[in-house]
Amino acid sequence: MIYGRRYRWTEMGLLLFPAAFLVVALLELELAQTASTPLTRNTLPPVDTFIPAIGLIVALAITHVLLNIFAPDSDQTLLPIAGTLASIGVIMALRIGASPGFDVPSLGAKQLAWVIVGLGFCVLTVILTRDLRWVRNNPFIWAATGIALIGITLVNGLRHFSTNTPSRDVLAIGPGGFSFQPSELFKISLVIFFSVYLSENQALLSTGNILSGAVMRKLLPNLLVLGIALVIAVVVRELGLALLIFGLVLALTYATTNRLSYVLGGLAIFTVGAVIAFSVFSYTRVRLDIVVNAFDPNKATNEGYQIVQGLIAFASGGVFGSGLGLGHPTIVPASNTDYIAAAFGEEFGFAGLLALLGLFMMLVFRGLLVAMRSRDRINQLMAVGLTSVFALQTLVILAGNLKLMPLTGVPLPFVAYGGSSVIANFIIIGFLLRLSEDRT
Amino acid sequence: MDTYSVLLVLRILLVAILYLVILRVVSVARREMKMVQEEERAVRRLHNIVGYLTVENVGSIKNTAGPRALHRRDRLDIKEITTIGRDPANDIMLESTFVSGYHTRVFFKDGSLWVEDLNSHNGTFVSLLRKDGNYQGLERITKETAVTPKTILQVGDVIFKFDEFKF
Repeated sequence: MIYGRRYRWTEMGLLLFPAAFLVVALLELELAQTASTPLTRNTLPPVDTFIPAIGLIVALAITHVLLNIFAPDSDQTLLPIAGTLASIGVIMALRIGASPGFDVPSLGAKQLAWVIVGLGFCVLTVILTRDLRWVRNNPFIWAATGIALIGITLVNGLRHFSTNTPSRDVLAIGPGGFSFQPSELFKISLVIFFSVYLSENQALLSTGNILSGAVMRKLLPNLLVLGIALVIAVVVRELGLALLIFGLVLALTYATTNRLSYVLGGLAIFTVGAVIAFSVFSYTRVRLDIVVNAFDPNKATNEGYQIVQGLIAFASGGVFGSGLGLGHPTIVPASNTDYIAAAFGEEFGFAGLLALLGLFMMLVFRGLLVAMRSRDRINQLMAVGLTSVFALQTLVILAGNLKLMPLTGVPLPFVAYGGSSVIANFIIIGFLLRLSEDRT
Repeated sequence: MDTYSVLLVLRILLVAILYLVILRVVSVARREMKMVQEEERAVRRLHNIVGYLTVENVGSIKNTAGPRALHRRDRLDIKEITTIGRDPANDIMLESTFVSGYHTRVFFKDGSLWVEDLNSHNGTFVSLLRKDGNYQGLERITKETAVTPKTILQVGDVIFKFDEFKF
């Protein structure tokens, strides 16, 4: 196809939607606070209500202009979809931060800052990957980076194994109180390494006898990562992270070889691991018990409190929701992170949740389209893997929120509060934008 | 003015914006797809391509490497007249002892594709479409035979399938 160096009008048109969303949402948030008084000229919100919206709109516009310069032929829908999801995240953080009794009133401002920093990282990624060769030529550097990153998490997990610290996947940097989750960047290096590694061994893996020694040797990194995933599930107790790593490796192996037997084999290993963990470690039984018997009168006010309150929040939202600013999202513990979907569902209702799911679907659809159009196998696999990160995270956390599986602390991409997650997701968008330029 | 009714309007507007993003992305994707199709049509017109043959089984051919190599799942262009045979002068060369020098001709006539055997030693076989929509087993053809998409074509011990094609 012939793509000239045309201005990215489609992207600009699409970016008007998140801009409108931000302005309308802030207006609604402000008006909801004085909902009982009639609307007169005096109760109209002051202009500085809209400062967060203006900040994010300007950041999106600058990103748009920079993409016009550095990646003019890249996909024009990825930034607007991610921007809309990030706008929802900022609005929800502002809304939860402003609710009475919440301990971090500046939550919205912080999330806004993270999104703007994330957009910066997105552009930086696009610029640095102008020549993808340095990314692809040194797969083992990515493997080493990944092992170092996951090592931090593992060491933290071992150090706090006996205590019940909720999140062990954290690295504190310096005295400023900054901390980041190494696993967020681990996902990216994992995808890059496996894309290069698997495509190098594609012929053998997709035609060789699976049980032969040659194929098994080539599968060693896969097995190693599956082992790491099991250790994470057991030692770090981040079941969500383990599932994500597991799913990523299986998705990439399947996309490379088109053989279902690898997926079935992986699932068999997972089942065996899960059964062993279930019988050896008591906390896995406790976790499952919470999900199964959440409504037990003794549990609903203790261990099951979060999950029950989350379900009540979803239910009280009904079809059309209570309206932004009119619900009580802070009743659910961790409604700014793990339970952001419940907070969103309460105030936007089923209709809003469906739209949110639709947006994630579009993100995954466009990501896989990048893979389908790509001519190069490594690029294809990278696009598949990076898109799977979004898909798997959304699936795992929403299933946890809806009591379909044990709740695990995976952030809902772009929407949940959290700096590392937002930055990592925007880096992925940067990669996908660059990969989308390689098309037939 | 009642603030609650304003809030209701804003609420509907908010969710509507989210749905509009989805609709817009879908319409962008449809437009792109249409552009790709038009592009393909233009390429077909430019090179007089009237259809495609997919290799289903390469049989015992020896040209599995080099510039005229054939592999399973390869998609070959059919021009207005395409010849298949062992001789290198054919459009599709099959280096197999079961294939005659000039074995089969595929050509375009009256808006459809036809297959004709060129008096080959081992014959040309196609699966014919029955009236109920199912395919019959492979039959050796003796005269010009019209073929439809998904028809199987056997030349010597090499098996092809006609792909969906639009004119």
